[in-house]
Amino acid sequence: MKTAVSIKNLNKIYSGVPPVQALRDATLDIRDNEFFTLLGPSGCGKTTLLRLIAGFEAPTGGSLHLFGEEISALPPESRPVNTVFQHYSLFPHMSVLENVAFGLRRLRKSEAKAHATAQEMLDLVHLSDFAARSPGQLSGGQQQRVALARALAPHPRVLLLDEPLSALDLKLRQSMRAELKRLQKETGITFVFVTHDQEEALAMSDRIAVMSQGEIQQVDNPARIYEFPENRFVAEFIGDANFFEARVGANEEGSANYHLFDGSKLHGPQGHAPEGATVTIFFRPEKARLAQTGLAGEVTEILYLGNNTDYLIRLDQGADVMVRSENHKDGTALAETGARVCVEVDPRAIRVLIP
Amino acid sequence: MRHSDRDIRWLPGFNWVTLFFFLFLYLPLIILVVFSFNASRSATVWDGFSLQWYAKAFANDDIQRATKNSLIIAVFATINATTLATMAALALGRNRRVRRKQMFSGLIILPLMIPEIVTAVATLTFFAAIGLSLGLGNIIIAHTVFCIPFAYLPIRARLQGMDESLEAAARDLYSGKWATLRLVTLPLLMPGIISGAMLAFIISLDDFIITLMVAEAGSTTLPIYIYSLVRIGITPEVNAISTVLLGISIIIVTVSYLIGKKT
Repeated sequence: MKTAVSIKNLNKIYSGVPPVQALRDATLDIRDNEFFTLLGPSGCGKTTLLRLIAGFEAPTGGSLHLFGEEISALPPESRPVNTVFQHYSLFPHMSVLENVAFGLRRLRKSEAKAHATAQEMLDLVHLSDFAARSPGQLSGGQQQRVALARALAPHPRVLLLDEPLSALDLKLRQSMRAELKRLQKETGITFVFVTHDQEEALAMSDRIAVMSQGEIQQVDNPARIYEFPENRFVAEFIGDANFFEARVGANEEGSANYHLFDGSKLHGPQGHAPEGATVTIFFRPEKARLAQTGLAGEVTEILYLGNNTDYLIRLDQGADVMVRSENHKDGTALAETGARVCVEVDPRAIRVLIP
Repeated sequence: MRHSDRDIRWLPGFNWVTLFFFLFLYLPLIILVVFSFNASRSATVWDGFSLQWYAKAFANDDIQRATKNSLIIAVFATINATTLATMAALALGRNRRVRRKQMFSGLIILPLMIPEIVTAVATLTFFAAIGLSLGLGNIIIAHTVFCIPFAYLPIRARLQGMDESLEAAARDLYSGKWATLRLVTLPLLMPGIISGAMLAFIISLDDFIITLMVAEAGSTTLPIYIYSLVRIGITPEVNAISTVLLGISIIIVTVSYLIGKKT
């Protein structure tokens, strides 16, 4: 499989007092024709990495290859890469069509060719009727699609998207997810998508790089990221999780007992840690259920979420646990606040984190 | 209890003071304009409508010469000042390598607060010291200098309101630095540049103190000529020229306002 963007030990330090290290030794291969997402909280370095690929920033160390060619020294206009900006950044003094044709004209395509391709791109994002309008006359969602058409029109080898959905409202955001996915498939262009929204990342990506404090934490496909996070940051940032400090008990045939420090005990898969070691284990709230046996406790809070209900349970041993559960088919709740319940965790759902 | 007593924004007497202030501000101007159309020579007694003073003023060789000087100076000073102000605004607003931007920006605007007579004396002394004697050229240079802050302010304001990512988008779409300047930055900056140019033009057109100091023989401008006429005695001819100047100012300010509002 061809590599579209190859990043090796890339560093970016912003000078200042004190200097800020926005990116630390990032190493990453983005494959050709892949929907790749950089995910992390604000300030994690994901936008810096995107700007380094686009050429708006110069790295302070490391190498950056695009289809085998070193590009860190090239200015943005010499890179076959286009960007969809967070606030669209459409040129307000040009029509929608002129905006979309801008890159093609700069690449010295003939006027007829530029015009035809721009029209084609507007068709692709269902905005051909708006070609003559000025960007200011369009809604946020429409402007977003013009920005997409403009960035796709020169047929870049890689398309960079900087939180393009963050300014849209929820319904529009959800329909744009499907739209983006479709555009990526239809054009066959590698998409590098930046977001802080974990749901968005899981729904759209082929692979995700989770970032924190300038460092890449884990690169994997969405299911692996959610099911098998490599460290506590990834487990915490994506989805919800119940964490416990535990001592590894006796191993037997690939499974082990984990003694929680409040005295209770969970059965789970055997990790890499030897018997007697202290590890962090966790399970997702939807992988536990309220049952007759298991860890006993009392329901302290109920968060009704429509499709699910979150039960916060204080275990008799002291720890707080969240259980996410489907409601009864007839619409009634599983338990009331203050009820005595037991939390049963499937041993297969227990994950052991490498300390 | 009257309604107005309960309105916390209402204070007694303020309406009348404000009205008086407006009269004070505009009544002299209205009288000047009205008597420029007076049929008689009197500046106080109305004697019927006439355009004769405008005809006289336009036929006056001295006035023609002074007007021509004023326009030449204003046009060149405006072009120079606006060009320099645009470059300064771009350097201070967009160049990441320039440090102490606030300080330099302040230094550009500072001359607005220096008493004009001080600038005038300083300019005269400076020209004398370096032996500069270019006729209208001297005045153009002096005007260019004091017009820069006026041109700079609206351009900087416009640039500050412009999203830098628009220029990033142009670079991203295969435009080099100069193409980006030509295709995106300057077109978007244009309303600010036009406002700045118009402001500079008006300021140059009616400058008196600095021009009086710097002007050599034969470089008389319109304000200086009007002043020399007034010293002999106020005639409706002066009213007529002043009204024309006022009209030009109002037109330019209006156009500049409309351009600023449209975009």
